Order: sequence, then C-alpha cells, then structure tokens
Amino acid sequence: MNTVSSQLIIAAIVGLPFMAFLICVLFGRRLKENAQYVGTFCVLISLVFSCFALAYVAGLLPGNVPGEGSSIQFSVHWIDLGPGGSFSMGVDIDHWAAVMLIIVCFVSLMVQIFSGGYMEGHPRFAWYYAVVSIFTGSMLGLVVSPNFIQAYFFWELVGGTSYLIHGFYFEKPAATYAAEKAFIVNRVADAALFIGIIIFWRETGTTSFSGIASAAHAGFIGSTTLTAASLFVFLGATGKSAQFPLHVWLSNAMQGPTPLSALIHAAAMIVSGVYLVSRTYNIFVQSPTAMEVVAIVGAFTAFMSATMAIAQKDIKQIIAYSTISQFGYVMLGLGEGAFTAGVFHIYNHALFKSLLFLLAASLGYAVGGSSDMGVMGGLKKRMPVTYWAFVIAGLSLAGIFPFSGFWSKDAIIAAAYDEGHYVLFALALFTVFLTALYIFRGIFICFWGEPRSEEARKAVEVPSIMTVPMIILAFLSIVSGWVGIPKGFGLPIKDVFGDFVQPSSFAQKTLHATPQNFSFVMAGISVLFGVIGIWLAYTVVVARPQWATAVGRTFPRVHAFLLNGWYFDLVYDRLFVRPAKALGGAVRDFDLRGFGGLVSGIGGAVSWSGERLRALQTGGVQNYAFAVLLGALIIAIIASAQYSFLVVALVVAFSVVAAAVGARL
Amino acid sequence: MIFVFIVLSAITLISSFGVVISRNVVHSALFMSGAFLGVAGFFAMLHSPALAALQVLIYVGAVTVVILFGIMFTQRPQVRRFRTILNRQVGAGFTVALFVGALLIYVFLQQDWGSTSAGHGPRTVASLGRILVGVSSGTDIFALLFEVASILLLVAVVAAIVISRRKTGEGVERRAEE
Amino acid sequence: MSVTLVWYLIVAAMMFAIGAWGAMIRRNAVVVFMCVELMINAVNLTLVAFSDYLPKAHGAGTGYAVLVIAIAAAEVAVGLAIVLAVFRTRRTVNIDEINSMKG
Repeated sequence: MNTVSSQLIIAAIVGLPFMAFLICVLFGRRLKENAQYVGTFCVLISLVFSCFALAYVAGLLPGNVPGEGSSIQFSVHWIDLGPGGSFSMGVDIDHWAAVMLIIVCFVSLMVQIFSGGYMEGHPRFAWYYAVVSIFTGSMLGLVVSPNFIQAYFFWELVGGTSYLIHGFYFEKPAATYAAEKAFIVNRVADAALFIGIIIFWRETGTTSFSGIASAAHAGFIGSTTLTAASLFVFLGATGKSAQFPLHVWLSNAMQGPTPLSALIHAAAMIVSGVYLVSRTYNIFVQSPTAMEVVAIVGAFTAFMSATMAIAQKDIKQIIAYSTISQFGYVMLGLGEGAFTAGVFHIYNHALFKSLLFLLAASLGYAVGGSSDMGVMGGLKKRMPVTYWAFVIAGLSLAGIFPFSGFWSKDAIIAAAYDEGHYVLFALALFTVFLTALYIFRGIFICFWGEPRSEEARKAVEVPSIMTVPMIILAFLSIVSGWVGIPKGFGLPIKDVFGDFVQPSSFAQKTLHATPQNFSFVMAGISVLFGVIGIWLAYTVVVARPQWATAVGRTFPRVHAFLLNGWYFDLVYDRLFVRPAKALGGAVRDFDLRGFGGLVSGIGGAVSWSGERLRALQTGGVQNYAFAVLLGALIIAIIASAQYSFLVVALVVAFSVVAAAVGARL
Repeated sequence: MIFVFIVLSAITLISSFGVVISRNVVHSALFMSGAFLGVAGFFAMLHSPALAALQVLIYVGAVTVVILFGIMFTQRPQVRRFRTILNRQVGAGFTVALFVGALLIYVFLQQDWGSTSAGHGPRTVASLGRILVGVSSGTDIFALLFEVASILLLVAVVAAIVISRRKTGEGVERRAEE
Repeated sequence: MSVTLVWYLIVAAMMFAIGAWGAMIRRNAVVVFMCVELMINAVNLTLVAFSDYLPKAHGAGTGYAVLVIAIAAAEVAVGLAIVLAVFRTRRTVNIDEINSMKG
C-alpha cells in the first residue's frame, strides 16, 4: 500500500461521504430531491472501494503475496511536539476493520435508497441526505482509526452528527429533548473515554492502539492502572453502545427518522462502542478484571433491556430495547474472550436489525406516520412483503436455526458456558426466551388479528423503492450467518468468517483461548428456548389474549416497572439532571448578578467619579491658575525634599477643612 | 546701606500689597508704579544704574501708561465692598501663595551662598552694552537673544494692532476669539 | 552687618508671593495683569541680585533682566489688546464671567 493512488482510494472511502455532505449542504436548495442521487452515489463508490480494501486485506489481489493478505497501514504526522507528544492521523485496516467498512457502507447504501421513497416530499430532503452522508463518513473514519486520538476525533463527530439525526424533526419538542439527552449522556461517556485515553497516554507516551498494547505487555503500565484505564474506555463504550448504565438515551432516540435509526442504531453509532472495545482488544485482554466487568455488564444489560422490551406498546421501542439487548450479547462475547463470536454477532445483527428498523419505517409509512402498535393489526394480508420480511428478521433475531442470528448468538452463549460463568450463561439463555417473546409479540400484534384503526384497514404495501432494500436485507438475514458455520457442525463448508476475523495472535496467547467445538446440545437448548418464546407470544397475543389481560391486572406494578424502563429515567433525573440544572442556574445567576454587577459597578463607579470630577472644570482661569500653583508647590516640595513643609501644609489643610466643615455644620 | 535697603523694601512691598487690595483700579496702577520705582532703586543699589534707568523708563514710563490706557477703555464704576473685587479663592489662594513664598524663603535661607560679595554688576552703560551684544566674556548667547528679542517686539506690536482692531467688514481680518 | 544676597532674594520672594496671590484673587483682568507684572519684577530683582553677587556669571543676569523687561513690555501690549477685544464683545472685564469652557 505504498502508492499514492492506492492510499487515495482508501482515503476516499472516508472522504467521499464528507464530500457528499458538503455538496448537499451547499447546493441543497437547488438539488432538492436529487440530493438522494448524490448521497447514494458517493456511498456506493465507498462500498466499491471498501470491497477493494477487503480484497487486498484478504490477499486476493494480484499484487499481494499469493494466498496472504496484510493489513493496510499508512499515516501522516499531524502534531509533533517531541517524544510522547506526537499524534498521527492515518489508517489501519485489518481483517475485522475491512469487514466493518463493508457493513457500514452497505447498510448506509440500503438506508439511503430506502429513504428516497420514505422522505419524499419533506422540505428538508437535502439536509437529510447531508446528515446521513456526514454520519457515514464519521463512522468510516472511526472504523479505520489506528490510534485513540483519531478515534476520539471521529467518535465525537459520530456523536455530533447523531445529535443532528435525532433532532431532525426539531419542530417536535420531544425530538429536541431526545437529541439533547442522547448527546449529553454520550458526553458523560466521552468524558470517561477521554480520561482513559489520557491515562494511557501518560503511562505510555503514545496513543496508538498497537503501541499501548505492546507497552502494556512490556510492563510500562501497572496492572491496576491498566484495569482502571480500560474500565474508563469501556465506560465510554457503554455510552455509545447504550449499555448499562448509559443506555437511557436510546429509547428516546426513536424520535429520529426511522430509516436513519436503521443506520445508526443498528449498524453504525451503536456499534462504535463495541467496535472500540474490539479494536483495543489487545489492551483489554491484559486485564482479566476488565474482561469480567465487560462480560457481566453485557449479560446484565441483555437481560435488563429484554425485560423492558416485552412490555412496550410501540414497535420502535421494542426494536430499540432489542438493540440494547443484542449489544449486551456482543459485550458478553467479547468479555468471555470469544472475539470472533462477538464480532460475528455484530455483523449479523447489523443486517437483521437494520432490516427491522426499515420494516418499522414502512409500517409507519403505511399507517400514516405512527409506530404505535395500537393502531395496527391485520396487516398480514395487506402488506405481505413487510410481513414475511418481519418474520425472517424476527426468526434471525430469536436465533432460530438456520437463520443468521442462530450461529452467532449460540456461539456467544456456548462461550459463556465454556468459560464457566454459569450465572451469565443462565441470564443469556433466559434472554433468548425473552427475545423471541418480545419480537414475536410485536409481529403478532401488528400483523395478525383485526385492524384496529382506519389507517390499518386502508394500508397497502409500500412502493418498490422501499421494498427492494428490505428484500435484499431479508435475504442477507438468512444467509449472512452461513459464512461462519463452525466446523463441528458436520457440513463440508469452511468457516470463512471465523478464519478471517480472528483476534490477534497476541490476544489469543494471552487469553489461552482454545478453539471451541460446536456443541449440538448447546445449540439445541438455545433453539428450544427460542421456540418456547415464540409459542408463548402466539398464545398470549392470538390464541388466548385473556391471559395477557389477567397477568396485566395481577401485576400492575411490575408491568409499569418494565414499561418505564426500570424507572432509570426517573432515577437519573432526580440524581443528576435536577442538581445539574440547579447548579447551572446558580452559576448563571452568579454570573449575571455577581460578575455582571461587578462589571457594571466598575462602569458605574467610573461614571460617578467622572461626574464628581466634572466640578473641577469650572472654566475659570483663576481656578486653573490656583491648581497650577498648587501643583508646582507640591512638586517643588518633593523635589527639594523639604518634607517638613509638606507636613505643615497637611496640618494647615486639615485644620482649614475642619474649620470649614465645622462652620457649615 | 541697610537703612536704604529697608526703606526701599518697605516701599516695594507695601506698594505690591496696595496693588492687590486696592478697591480703585487706578489706585492699583499707581501702586504698581510705586513698586516699580522701588525695584529701580534696588537695581541702583545692585550696581546696575543703566538697568535702573531702563526700568524707570520702560516700566514706570511705558507699561504704566499702557495699563492706564487699558483702564480708561474698560472703565467700571468704583466699588464699595471688597467682595466685589475679590473672588472666592481668597483664602485658598492666600494659603498657597504663603506657602510658595515661605518655601522660597526657606530654600534661600538654607542655601550656602559661599563667600559672595557685592559689586560685580555692570557699573557702566558700556559694560551693559557689551553684555547685551555678547562681546563680554561668557555672554556669547546674548548676540542671538538680542536679535530674537527685537523680532519678538515687532511681532508683538503687529499682534496688538491686529487683535484690537475694529471689524471693518471686508478683506481677510483676524479677530480675537474669546 | 552688610546687606547680603539673601536679603534681596527674600524681598523678591515676598513680592512674588504677593503678586501670585493677587493674580489668583482679583476679578478685574487689568489688575491681574498688574500682579503678573509684579511677579516679573520680582524675578528681575532676583536675576540682578545674582548678577551682582556672583562673580562667575560675568554680569549675565543683568542681560537677562533687560531681555525680560523687553518681553514683559511686549506681553503687556498684546495682553491688553486681548482684554480690550474681549471687553468689546462682552462689555465686562470680570474674569469670573468669562467661563465658556465650563464643564
């Protein structure tokens, strides 16, 4: 990768979406509906170049050493302040990053094609595409970053552009609130991440991932410091990936346009957190405590948000909590040392979750803009493509054989069992049941039974510009897992993904990872739990709906607890938001009255003294002559050092003034 | 000599005082010329008779007359009370002037004048003349100063005429602005 | 006891102080002029006293005194011209009333 042209091609992967942003922003008024072609074209080129990068990394290009690929690495010096103070901007694309590039570009492409139909007629059409493009560019920049500083730079860009996305419908106060909430929660996470970066930089003098990893291995960082810094980085990752305790923004973020949720809450922004953990895996594996924490938080989050999802009334909320839950799985996998299983689940999840969001978008499009399940129902016959795509996505999400989700989710659960974390294993298994339950509850409520509103009765299938991406993604949701079928399954197919995306040999050594064998028992148990969940959903929604009402009446508080997201919003509001607002108000008041008063007071004092001094300007020559003589007298006294005169003069002056005051009084 | 000195200083100081507190402007002018005469006497005591003559000629002769002319043109009726002729600065001005005078006297008394003796002034008109045109030793600068002073006198004469001219209504005139 | 230098200087200082006081307190502009003349004469007296008592000066003090007399005469001429000009418009020589620079 030393020719400028090939480096330019790699740089263009990140640069083209930014260019699309500039074009849409500068010429949006004139482009109007044609902005979609600009955005789609740029991301398509990025996708082609990403395939080129993948081919190079896989060793498939003619220039490579036959059969072997290598990672693409080049960088330029950005800031050079001497040893320990030099930061570079560059590119480091290894196998996993190359796959990630393709995922982001592909999902962005699908979303932009879909949005051409979904956003038709919206006055801010060009701005929509501008925001999508800059977001895609930021995410791609994050994917290729070789060091913490550049990653943080693009991390912040991702956060900032997601603010624009969440607040796209800024006419609604709920949307602006959601955008602020997402941004502020992410800010807390970013602060933690920054602290972690600073600790790493101070200990090792570098911010590049590989540099810190080797420094840590060579013993430059004490183990407690390493664990602490890794936990800070992980806390930052929980903010972006919506894990406990910083998961509260995601359900509000559903205020953004739904196709964009398909991009950012399935394949891009949400992934940045776990992606960072996977990129810095060589650092994490050196701290067993950090790995434990990652796994525990992941499993707990998965369980927690699945319980919240089963009580929701809005299809987008169900999908949002599902995303939190699935990324809990990924964190569990990474924490257990099952790197390949974790990233495999990211890859599969990107595809079926973005499909689910696009389906929710098309549902909303069909019933007039709402995603409340109470206005849907009976859409099975009216929207067949959407229905079958939903079923496929649901089965993939629930991890039913042979859909894509099965392969990755099962691998994670098996890893939890193999590592001996039986509590986490039990949680993960129970969450499989919950996952199947909530997604199929959603499907049955939306598509089966009788239409519950006028819009549902008149709903028709969405136009083909929207169904084509859905069909493509549905097909991929079935087959995407098949590139990672483990050897133990008995089929003569190579585990392409598993061979391609491995943790580094260093990580493997540190983890003492033994390759896992596929276990039919484990697979069977998780599929069984999934099927039980589907059966329960069918029973509760279609066959015996009175059970649902009975349960709801018996446990009203539990239902409210789950529906309100375990009351996290309430707790955070009391604990953090109100004190912060009070503090802000106090500071503002101090600034207004304290500093403002001080500044105006100085001005007032100057003007008051000016008014008083004005009396000296009498216009009378003899007064001025008196002043001159007096001044000359004083100077003469001081110059000739006859200070006795000064003393006498002061005494006389004082007595005269006293006499004058006495006479007046 | 001391007696003469005391008489002369009495004349001078009492006349000065009279200038300041006299209620009649013409009296002030006459007191002023009295003070000039006292100073002329001092000049004579200081072995500068030429200068004493010059003092009488110019000050008592010309300046007093000019001032009397000025009084004539700006006539005001005689006042009865001191308050009319003195402004509100009387007390403060007195204090400051007192201190100025006291400081000067104090400094003069403190200074060690060494062994000085009288009698070094220009006793003849010729020596005064030599000083003024700068041929006497150590007074070379006076050649230039003499010429500058003559130019200044010319400018002053012209300026006085121009400033106090009455407005005629045409041509480029310069009227003194208040 | 003979008259020393200091005696002349003291007389001159007193005359100067009186002149200064008068210049500050009289309302009539012409009288202020007269007090200024008093001050100038005090200075002249000082100069000539120094010229007589200090041999090193070679009588330069007297020369200066002559020039000061000339300049003072010129100043009287110009100053009275100004007073007359002011009197013509304002009909007063009371200095207190000439205060348009007030404020």
